[in-house]
Amino acid sequence: MHVLEMRNIRKSFGSVEVLKSISLDVEQGEVVAVIGPSGSGKSTLLRCATTLEQVDAGTIKIAGRALVSETDGKVLFADKKDLAEIRGMFGLVFQNFNLFPHFSVRRNITESLIHVRKIPRREADEIADKLLAKMGLADKAGEHPCRLSGGQQQRVSIARALAANPKILFFDEPTSALDPELTGEILKVIRGLAEERMTMVIVTHEMSFAREVADRVIFMDEGVIVEQGRAADIINDPKEARTKAFLAGY
Amino acid sequence: MDNLRSTITQLLSGMTFTLMIFILTLLFSLPLGLLVAKGRMSRNRLLSGATRFYISVMRGTPLMLQLLIVYFGPWYLFKIPLRNLSIGQLDYRFVATIIGFSVNYAAYFAEIFRGGIQSMPQGQYEAAQLLGFSKSQTFFRIIMPQVIKRVLPSVTNEVITLVKDTSLAQVLAVSEMFIAAKSLASTQVSVIPFIVAGVFYYLMNGVIEIGMNSLERKLNYYS
Repeated sequence: MHVLEMRNIRKSFGSVEVLKSISLDVEQGEVVAVIGPSGSGKSTLLRCATTLEQVDAGTIKIAGRALVSETDGKVLFADKKDLAEIRGMFGLVFQNFNLFPHFSVRRNITESLIHVRKIPRREADEIADKLLAKMGLADKAGEHPCRLSGGQQQRVSIARALAANPKILFFDEPTSALDPELTGEILKVIRGLAEERMTMVIVTHEMSFAREVADRVIFMDEGVIVEQGRAADIINDPKEARTKAFLAGY
Repeated sequence: MDNLRSTITQLLSGMTFTLMIFILTLLFSLPLGLLVAKGRMSRNRLLSGATRFYISVMRGTPLMLQLLIVYFGPWYLFKIPLRNLSIGQLDYRFVATIIGFSVNYAAYFAEIFRGGIQSMPQGQYEAAQLLGFSKSQTFFRIIMPQVIKRVLPSVTNEVITLVKDTSLAQVLAVSEMFIAAKSLASTQVSVIPFIVAGVFYYLMNGVIEIGMNSLERKLNYYS
């Protein structure tokens, strides 16, 4: 079964068509890297898949549940109850972390477990501490995010996204806001998740990382998927002229 | 010396009214200000237009005039006689003072809150939304605690102004500290009561400054 199924997605901002009928299926356990120049629509694609933007046309299913469906050319969005359930099935890691600065690291993770998923506090704390240990941040649970480095903050935000045990994890340029020497620690975490067969869609500019970790690479430009295939094939031996031109810059 | 002692006692008794106006105004105007800010940011044009107008009138006309209008309104609008009018146990002069101050300060607080709320990065809302928080959970758990930290210095400014503005209640003959000082000054033919009153206002604001500063420090556990 596809964990993510996006069909014929269209999205415009004003008169600018950002996504021009894009389809994307992601298999269970697959790691997909989305690359392309800025303005190609890759972040918008992610924001549509994660309900942060509403599509103009097309259908989206996550773990078989309809997030967006179409009947007679009319777009239908999941109702409130469905939406709440489906939101528990995916996580998103933002470029700028978007941690809650007034909460401790632990509470950043537990707050939604306790108040949205109604998990008892003690259990939520256990989940948080386990995830933080996995991220190598066991000793930071009581700190506030501002006391952490960018790389550590991003690891907290990955832990937060993992807390609800999602079936798929989306990353929106997870290392773009980090100093180069800090990107390594994030890539290591993502690599670890890939080894656990976590299904992931990663928008990234890290070509060598994409080649190493992704099963499939998708190259987007001007709102369409120009080329896709096995990571090594696309990055080492692109077929399309636009892909070649883009990769030549790296 | 006796003069000074009786001046201080009489001013202190006036100060209870001053303090009551101060505390009750904050109690009503802060939550009202939050509601007005929400109205002002509403997508409903009628609501945002109406609150915008309300804020503009409150800020654009003298508070003293507003107090007079609240006080005399029942007579001019409904012919309710004001002599000895009371609401429950409370003299209507005092009630009108609290209403006038509260609706006026709510307008200022609303703009401060609006500025704070609109300065919050969109990413906080998006993260909260994806984690499944409801709109009210997002507002009260994620947004508002951060807004309070951001707006505290501006709120302190207003609170300090409020202490001094309480002296305007004299137009409704509410026996707060300033009225006491005025009558003492005229009976004693002396400026001392004014100076003592000034010291009292200053001391009150000193306490407020210290309190607000320590609150700011408490909220400094994150940046």
